[in-house]
Amino acid sequence: MTPENFLYLAVVLFAIGLVGIMLRRNLFVVYLSIELMLSSVNLILATFARVQGDMGGGIIALLMIAVIAAEAAIFLSLIIYIYRTTKTVDSKRITKLANQEEK
Amino acid sequence: MESLVFSILALFLLAGAIGIVALKESIYSAMSFLLVMVAMAGMYALLHQSFLFLAQILVGVGAVVVLSLMIILSINLRIENLPSQQITPKKIGFVLTMVAPIVIILFYAIGKTDLSFAPVSQEFGGIKLVGSELFSHWVLPFEVISILLLSAMVGAVVLSRRRLDSDS
Amino acid sequence: MEVLLSLIVILPFLSSMILGLSYLIDEERKLGNTYYTYIAVGVPVLITLFSFILIAHMFPQSSDTTLYAHLFNWVSVGSFTIELSFMLDRLSLVMISFITFIATLIHIYAVGYMREDEGFGKFFAYFNFFLASMLLLVLASNPIILFIGWELVGLASYLLIGFYHKEHSNITAANKAFIVNRVGDFGFIIGLGVLFITLEGQGFSFEAIQNGIGGLSSSTLTFVGLMLFVGAMGKSAQIPLYVWLPDAMAGPTPVSALIHAATMVTAGVYMVARFGFLYNEIPDIGLFIAYIGAFSALAAALMASFERDIKKILAYSTMSQLGYMFIAVGLGAYGAGIFHVFTHAFFKALLFMGAGAVIVALHHEQDIFKMGNLRKHLPKTFITMLIATLAITSIPPFAGFFSKEAIINHAYLSENYTLWVMAIFTAFLTAYYMFRLIFVVFMGNVQREYSKLQPLGRWMSIPLIILAVGSATVGFLGIGHGFGNFIALPDRSIEDVAHNTEYILMGINITVALIGIVLAYRLFGTLATPPKADIPFKVFIMRKFFVDEFYDRLFVRNIRGLSSFFDRVVDAKIIDGVFGGLSLGYIEVGKLFNSFQNGTVRHYATYFIFGVSLMSLGLLFLLEVK
Repeated sequence: MTPENFLYLAVVLFAIGLVGIMLRRNLFVVYLSIELMLSSVNLILATFARVQGDMGGGIIALLMIAVIAAEAAIFLSLIIYIYRTTKTVDSKRITKLANQEEK
Repeated sequence: MESLVFSILALFLLAGAIGIVALKESIYSAMSFLLVMVAMAGMYALLHQSFLFLAQILVGVGAVVVLSLMIILSINLRIENLPSQQITPKKIGFVLTMVAPIVIILFYAIGKTDLSFAPVSQEFGGIKLVGSELFSHWVLPFEVISILLLSAMVGAVVLSRRRLDSDS
Repeated sequence: MEVLLSLIVILPFLSSMILGLSYLIDEERKLGNTYYTYIAVGVPVLITLFSFILIAHMFPQSSDTTLYAHLFNWVSVGSFTIELSFMLDRLSLVMISFITFIATLIHIYAVGYMREDEGFGKFFAYFNFFLASMLLLVLASNPIILFIGWELVGLASYLLIGFYHKEHSNITAANKAFIVNRVGDFGFIIGLGVLFITLEGQGFSFEAIQNGIGGLSSSTLTFVGLMLFVGAMGKSAQIPLYVWLPDAMAGPTPVSALIHAATMVTAGVYMVARFGFLYNEIPDIGLFIAYIGAFSALAAALMASFERDIKKILAYSTMSQLGYMFIAVGLGAYGAGIFHVFTHAFFKALLFMGAGAVIVALHHEQDIFKMGNLRKHLPKTFITMLIATLAITSIPPFAGFFSKEAIINHAYLSENYTLWVMAIFTAFLTAYYMFRLIFVVFMGNVQREYSKLQPLGRWMSIPLIILAVGSATVGFLGIGHGFGNFIALPDRSIEDVAHNTEYILMGINITVALIGIVLAYRLFGTLATPPKADIPFKVFIMRKFFVDEFYDRLFVRNIRGLSSFFDRVVDAKIIDGVFGGLSLGYIEVGKLFNSFQNGTVRHYATYFIFGVSLMSLGLLFLLEVK
């Protein structure tokens, strides 16, 4: 249980989250992958707090959790909104930002 | 002993993470996410962050997971609304190739460090210490976060407000 | 004196610019003909005066005195300089004397001839420009300036031939003249270039070249002499580069008179005479030149004998007489050749001007078989043209007799008997076709009714008379080698001749001419029958030996095919293909980049991560390398 192990783990989790964002089109999965990445960062913060013996990292991680909560609220509201208007959670079909003439 | 716990928790974390990404049904991803949250809490505990452990359980599981599950279930997706995804091995390979260098460099950086856990008091990570730190050095971020939470709340209400003339 | 010399060239250039600018600015044609006349005729008169002054100045001095007028250094690179300077020695003095005089007369004539034309000012701008270029050519002190004048007269010729530009065939004729000339110029440039290279920078004026000639090998000299003569072939319409001259008659008659009779076409002869010191080293090339001249003279005379258009007859006659001049300079009799240039200028200009009078009087009819019995209606024209014709057929005491006879006799006395026979036969033909022209146009019993004839103005008739006097008298300058001695060119000498032989030769010449006249009278004196293409021999000649067709087959079609090939294949497909392909490639790349900006945020995230991963790779490499 060395600090490096925690860090390696966090990096791998982060990578998995990254893969999830790029790969999946289902908005829920995208959201959960984002959460995964955030959590991995939290882990790194906590690890360094323990390494340094300084509570600062832990505090930040705590505040991060608050942010996560806020973000959950917004993201999920957005999903509801999108579902209501476009009846889908497939990110490929949500193309309002695209150049309309092309397609 | 701690190494064993760490290994188990790490395993759960990895399994959950891969589950989030790889599973087809949204429900299953949400379940994997629950596993990840809980295991993460355990990690915090291992790192002597007791308050963080509590907060993680309360918020991560109690709020986030519950909310996600509620939304997933209430949206009532039909199969046809789910994306018809063809995740070809080619795509997986492509994405992994892109992510790989990031991982590699981070590993490399970690490998170059020489870290060890500092000795800490018994109260480290405890609620008392958290409170004193939070309200002395970290007051400003604390307040700002509260504003953030306020705005998020307002935003969520606005977004999910039904218009009187729209149909759901 | 030097100032006068420079002015002789500068003034006409200046006046041509003024005339041209005035013409361009004056769009509503408010400036009357008088304005243009004063400038356009005034300058040549002035120039002629200057040349007479210079004659008076140079006459008493020794024969190799040269007057130089240096204007400026045109090119100065290291030790190589080309100066713009003028050289007046006996040769160029003689040239400018008759050039300016006859040009002045033709300018006066042209005032009358062109008075109805709307492009009056333009005409005289070109005309003065031509005069200036010719003078530049003749007065040049080094061959490069000579060549500039050479090219400029070609340009002036092109502008003036195509003067009636609304008629497409005239433009074609002008193009033909310019292009054929160009072929000759190409040879000329090569000759000049080789000469320059082999002389190795000892200066390039005529004097310097003359001094440096000795060091060159015979083969170099042969090549240079030949190449320079190629230029002369083009400019002076000898075989094979003569095809432009008959077509050049499309220009207004004063143009034909000045350029294609008296001056520009003699530039080739002048050039050979100027390079006489070079040609003296290579007498074989001289012989070749003489033969080309003889063949050209003969062929031209044959073609003239069957020609109907009055100006074309005169054009072939010019080519024929030029052939005589080349016989002379080819055999080294530079004095005789230039003398013939001198006399020919008088009577040929007169002939053309008379022909122009006839053409204008008959409202632009040029076919001689539609004329006849004009001596009653145009007496002045008749008399003057008769005098000129007598001169050209070398009947004494008219001018052509002295000059042509000098050439023919020289051919005999230098033991080139083939040339002599050809020259004699050509003289016979000359008499024949020229008197054929006179008989058909002016005599005959044809009772032709002419609708109101256009009267000649004083502008046109006075120069005719002056030139007639000249044609009658200038021959006497040549008596007793007077002209040749004056001009003091490096003639290749021949053994002295017994008086008896001289008289016999003279008699032969006159007899031959008389036979020609009699034959013409018998055939055309009373009844003028147009030539019919019945026997193949006649067909051959009347179709001008099919030379134009030959050139067309050999050169024109192939070049046209090549150009067409380049246009269709190389330009359209290959070059346009390359550029089209390039731009298409750009469009495609642009489309590709466009597809990246598709509004799908997932894709943007992918790009984002791609960038980060690239940076991490980069960072890895940097760290590893270190």
